[in-house]
Amino acid sequence: MESLAHQDVINLLLKLATMLLLARIFAEVAQKLKQPAVVGEILAGIILGPTVLGMIGPEFFEFLFKSSPSANLALDGIVQMAVILLLFIAGLEVELHLVWSQGKSAVSISILGLVVPFIFGFIAPYYFPDFFGISEDKKLLFSLFMGTAMSITALPVVVRILMDMNLFKTKMGMVIVAGAMVNDLIGWLIFSVILSFMGKAGNFSLINTIGITLLFTVFMLTIGKGLLNKVLPWTNKKLAWPGGVLSLSMAFCFLAAAFTEWLGIHAIFGAFLFGVALGDSDHLSEKAKEIIHQFINNIFAPLFFVSIGLKINFFTNFDLGLVLIILVISFAGKIIGSGYGALRSGYSPKDALAVGFGMNARGAMEIILGLIALENGLIDEKLFVALVVMALVTSMSAAPLMKWALKKKPEESD
Amino acid sequence: MYQKLALAIAFSPRMEALIAEARKLIRIFDGELVLIHVGTKTPELEAQLAEVLSRHCGDLHRIKTIWKEGKPTKTILKTCEEEGVDLLVLGALKKEGLLTYYLGSVARKVIRKATCSVLTLIDPKIETTHFSKVVINGTELEITPRVIARGLKFCQAEQSSQVHILNEIKLYGFQMATAGEGTETEVANTRRKLVQDEIQYVQDILDKLDQSGLKINIKVTAGKWAVELVRYCESIEADLLIMGDEQGLTFIDRLFPHDLEGILEELPCNLLIVK
Repeated sequence: MESLAHQDVINLLLKLATMLLLARIFAEVAQKLKQPAVVGEILAGIILGPTVLGMIGPEFFEFLFKSSPSANLALDGIVQMAVILLLFIAGLEVELHLVWSQGKSAVSISILGLVVPFIFGFIAPYYFPDFFGISEDKKLLFSLFMGTAMSITALPVVVRILMDMNLFKTKMGMVIVAGAMVNDLIGWLIFSVILSFMGKAGNFSLINTIGITLLFTVFMLTIGKGLLNKVLPWTNKKLAWPGGVLSLSMAFCFLAAAFTEWLGIHAIFGAFLFGVALGDSDHLSEKAKEIIHQFINNIFAPLFFVSIGLKINFFTNFDLGLVLIILVISFAGKIIGSGYGALRSGYSPKDALAVGFGMNARGAMEIILGLIALENGLIDEKLFVALVVMALVTSMSAAPLMKWALKKKPEESD
Repeated sequence: MYQKLALAIAFSPRMEALIAEARKLIRIFDGELVLIHVGTKTPELEAQLAEVLSRHCGDLHRIKTIWKEGKPTKTILKTCEEEGVDLLVLGALKKEGLLTYYLGSVARKVIRKATCSVLTLIDPKIETTHFSKVVINGTELEITPRVIARGLKFCQAEQSSQVHILNEIKLYGFQMATAGEGTETEVANTRRKLVQDEIQYVQDILDKLDQSGLKINIKVTAGKWAVELVRYCESIEADLLIMGDEQGLTFIDRLFPHDLEGILEELPCNLLIVK
């Protein structure tokens, strides 16, 4: 195996240390301000990247992030792994049994909360391609991507908000959580299909890829889950705990990721599906889940979120008109869709509005989606920046807006 | 509390034990017994039944035997409704194919569709079973307050020595990971609050009920409640599990294994489904 030179190792370690340190500081500040940690971590990246550090201390920025191509490559590997792991826990969080137990209202909120923003996101670029600067031949793919990017709710952000507001265990809280889970699952399915359209160096034709993707999904959620249910009790009993279940679940997560990458859809999809199958198993203890979450959330997730800011100049690529349009589409789609779903399920207009605001929170998933689209040349940097800003704004505004919607109720009854 | 008890009989080797068990329940609830057999009425079977009944129910006057032909599930359900039965007793095998005489799926269908409560006995005995250790499902569902109320009454009548009410923290791992963004004290507080909330939920229901003569233990777990219930029943070697059923099963529920289905698959002990 090749190895990094002495100087590269130092550079890599310095990078990692700086990223983790700054991410921690900003995450803490964000939390003090009652904001999700993700917001702080993304801001940390923007500050470390070309946007701020590149402007005020170009020499230092050059030294840290530009001087060693091998260390950059190594960092890219680590970040890739971080994304795969993030998707793995995103899958782990999807608990299908909770979704079914919430019944019709969860399904209606999530389906409408998915379809309406999807349509909004799809229509805008499809009918006004010039505004988004896309060519005619990419129009359909781009519109599909925008639709998906508008429709995935950030589950971790939502859970945090609900817990802070003491709403997690209420009927509304559970319905929002279940709705966001369904959103995640369907959103990623659609995105995997888009990815196969993009035709990244895959091994199969388009139809085959889509077919195999669906087959793999069904396999993971049925036979794969069944196998896990058989293997896990044995792992728990015979192997070290939690060592056994941790290393094995990582290993299989990477295997599933490698498989989908080989298929020509992205590695993250395999990790996500494996996460869903594992999380739905009866034998993965909550304690093990907590441990997996903790080490990914606090080590790998910050590295990924900071890395976003390192890639792009958020200042020069900031297009106010585009940002505003994206914000309007995203707010309108989610709030109308999820809100109407809640209204139909018998929630009062105020509560339905609160559900809409809650489901409006976007975060990691939109950013990962955007990043893949950017790497595949589907979107440009300006749109990516707009998507990140959208994720930040929707995440930050969800809690205050929900509080506002729920606070209005007593005044009304006076 | 159960005035009219029905027993589905199949002339299996365990019939006598089931009749003895039903007789015992009639004694504690002071009710009447309806025996249902789906199949042809023959003089031999009649004689066989009369002989068993004379041994166990000789003193019982309010007893009625119904012979009917037809599809087992439908016939049992229909007879229960016609007779106004409020508790149906079924024998079950410990492994999957529940009622041996019927197709395995019959008992499940009956349990799912019955409008009355259903008691499934995994190992009926001629000397009858005493339900001394009882586990009640206290997980937050719409039907739970009713399940706990009915469950306590059953335990009082049966004079159970221990009653365990099990409630679970939903998405414990996820919630704790989210709380992990706070300081150590905040995390500890969240952990405590999660447990406390679940105990309080059960306590609030219990406060409104008569608990005389019962030793009640509230237990909180984390994970999927159906799985945890089965595990807990096995770990304390419970005699009876009391739970509600889930209403409004749609076609989606057929596609995905439901919590109740999970329990029926690995019946840990006798099971009383309260409707």
